[in-house]
Amino acid sequence: MRLYDSLKTSSNNLTHSKMRTFLTMLGIVIGISSVILLMSIGASAEKLIIGQVQGVGSNLVFVIPGASKGSRFSAPASSQGIIIKTLTGSDVDALQRDPAIVNAAPEVRGQAKAVFGNNDTNITYIGVTENFFATRNFVVEKGQNFNDSDVNSFNRVAVIGPEIAKTLFGDFNPVGKSFRLNDISFKVSGILEQKGVGAFGVDQDNIILVPISIAQKQMLGIDYYNAISVQVSDSYASEYTKSRVFSIMRASHRITDPNKDDFTIRTQEDILSLLGSITSILTIFLTSIACISLVVGGIGIMNIMLVSVIERTREIGLRKAVGATNSDILQQFLWESVLLTFFGGFIGILFGAFLVGVVYLVLVNIIKTDWVFALPAQAIISAVVVSTFTGVLFGLYPARQAAKKNPIDALRYE
Amino acid sequence: MENKPLISVRNLEKLYYDEGGSTHALRGVSFDIHPGEFVAIMGPSGSGKSTLLHILSFLDRPTGGSYVFKGRDMDHLSDQDLALIRNKEMGFIFQSFNLLSRISVFDNVALPLIYEYDLKIEKRKKRVEQAIASVDISEKTYIEAGKLSGGQKQRVAIARALVNNPSVIFADEPTGNLDSKSGAQVMDILQSLHKEGNTIILVTHETYTAEFAHRLIHIKDGLVDSDVPIKKQRHLKEEFFK
Repeated sequence: MRLYDSLKTSSNNLTHSKMRTFLTMLGIVIGISSVILLMSIGASAEKLIIGQVQGVGSNLVFVIPGASKGSRFSAPASSQGIIIKTLTGSDVDALQRDPAIVNAAPEVRGQAKAVFGNNDTNITYIGVTENFFATRNFVVEKGQNFNDSDVNSFNRVAVIGPEIAKTLFGDFNPVGKSFRLNDISFKVSGILEQKGVGAFGVDQDNIILVPISIAQKQMLGIDYYNAISVQVSDSYASEYTKSRVFSIMRASHRITDPNKDDFTIRTQEDILSLLGSITSILTIFLTSIACISLVVGGIGIMNIMLVSVIERTREIGLRKAVGATNSDILQQFLWESVLLTFFGGFIGILFGAFLVGVVYLVLVNIIKTDWVFALPAQAIISAVVVSTFTGVLFGLYPARQAAKKNPIDALRYE
Repeated sequence: MENKPLISVRNLEKLYYDEGGSTHALRGVSFDIHPGEFVAIMGPSGSGKSTLLHILSFLDRPTGGSYVFKGRDMDHLSDQDLALIRNKEMGFIFQSFNLLSRISVFDNVALPLIYEYDLKIEKRKKRVEQAIASVDISEKTYIEAGKLSGGQKQRVAIARALVNNPSVIFADEPTGNLDSKSGAQVMDILQSLHKEGNTIILVTHETYTAEFAHRLIHIKDGLVDSDVPIKKQRHLKEEFFK
């Protein structure tokens, strides 16, 4: 039997009972569209995260107090709420002296109540130096940022995020106005550009940046830092600078045994690969769930094909009588199930792409996130391959049943 | 008539095994059929005539004896070879027509040809149209087979049996599901096919139908009871146009 005849015969049979064909296909359509949807969501999430991590700044190495034991992804003690006081000004100075390091920006964080007129809100503030803005990619849109002389002379100035500006000042232009933070009066010198939620889940639009001197001495009463963001020069490979930062920090803390580090170093690559592996695991997990619906769809196809083989027993007998070989019959039924799953897969891809578009539009326009549209080619290719493979896998048994029929018994079948 | 037989069976046996034991459907049947013959195989039900037809038409294998078709011993042929010979050398007409009711007359008649890989589509079309014309049903070519009357269906089935220019046409009770007029018309077509030189083997339990043939093999209890020429054939014209 030629391919042309096989396809014609199979498609005739499928188009003859349209409702049955449609319902049989539906399982595959749902399975494939959910695989497409979930793989695309995974890819979008990954793109979004990469964008956010890169949005933090470029060529960054973060120094966090406290050692992280075990794998490079395990959390350092400081991030679990334990107070560690080991990061100090001398570390920043030592880092700043290295030619490979462009900037070393220390920071401290705290929570406080911000008040302006009748408006008040609890908010995260970060005490920073002038070079924090450049290092961490914080752009001042209105007004200006504060400089190191403001830091050194304990000037009570603040740069605020656009969200908190709206919460506190409403329609007023906040630049030049004063508000209170933990009962200390600050004058707003600038407003940050909108940045969205950062890679660490912090809403970067809802923060207040103040001079690190005031935050340390007047608000928190501490003399250590919570973190140092180190920006390294483009001309050095990140693994090299990472090891440079290690050796500078060890020298500064007089540590000779690497197992006794009292700090943790994270690069953007570390963070990306950590987040990447989380999204990959999630994507694999969700896609496997979607595959269950494909298996269910495949079983549906097998069931209908078995019924079809029984219904068409006499046809099989006749075809064999007029010269069809076992492999002709096998091919005919296999083509039928493959056509079912192939077109089911095709419709599933279209429907899945439609759903991906809907999710994108809803997340961007209604929920207002920075969601990225992604419809990875690998999702489409694997959908085509998997749906065709499902057809072969679940069509093979019924097709073999058909091919094995004895022509006389088949012709006599009532 | 050529000297070399088209079909030659010797001591053909068929033993069926089932739960209750075994049934000896054929107990040693021997005869030759030459090209161009019109043979009726008759017998009461259970006589083994259907079993014999199935073996002759390569749909089943005997359990004993030998069957040589066009000089080829069935014992030496694989199932694949049998399918190929059925496709190229044999035509089938069944009691219940066995048309695929959802597809057109054209596609039904073309059925044997789709398993003939080397036949060009154009040539296929021509042969199908010729076969349909030869049973005088051209105006129904693109109609779904299911919508035809019984007599028309059997004519389509005859066209299908002819389309591959077979060496032999097997007809299994071809008039069994037809009224007497349609049945007679079908037999008339078979008779004219025979006149054109086709070999026809007809299985029936009706004497009336058998009398259209030229030779009658009577099967009883799995054996050839008699094998005689029919002196005077029945003709359709005598029946209806006298």
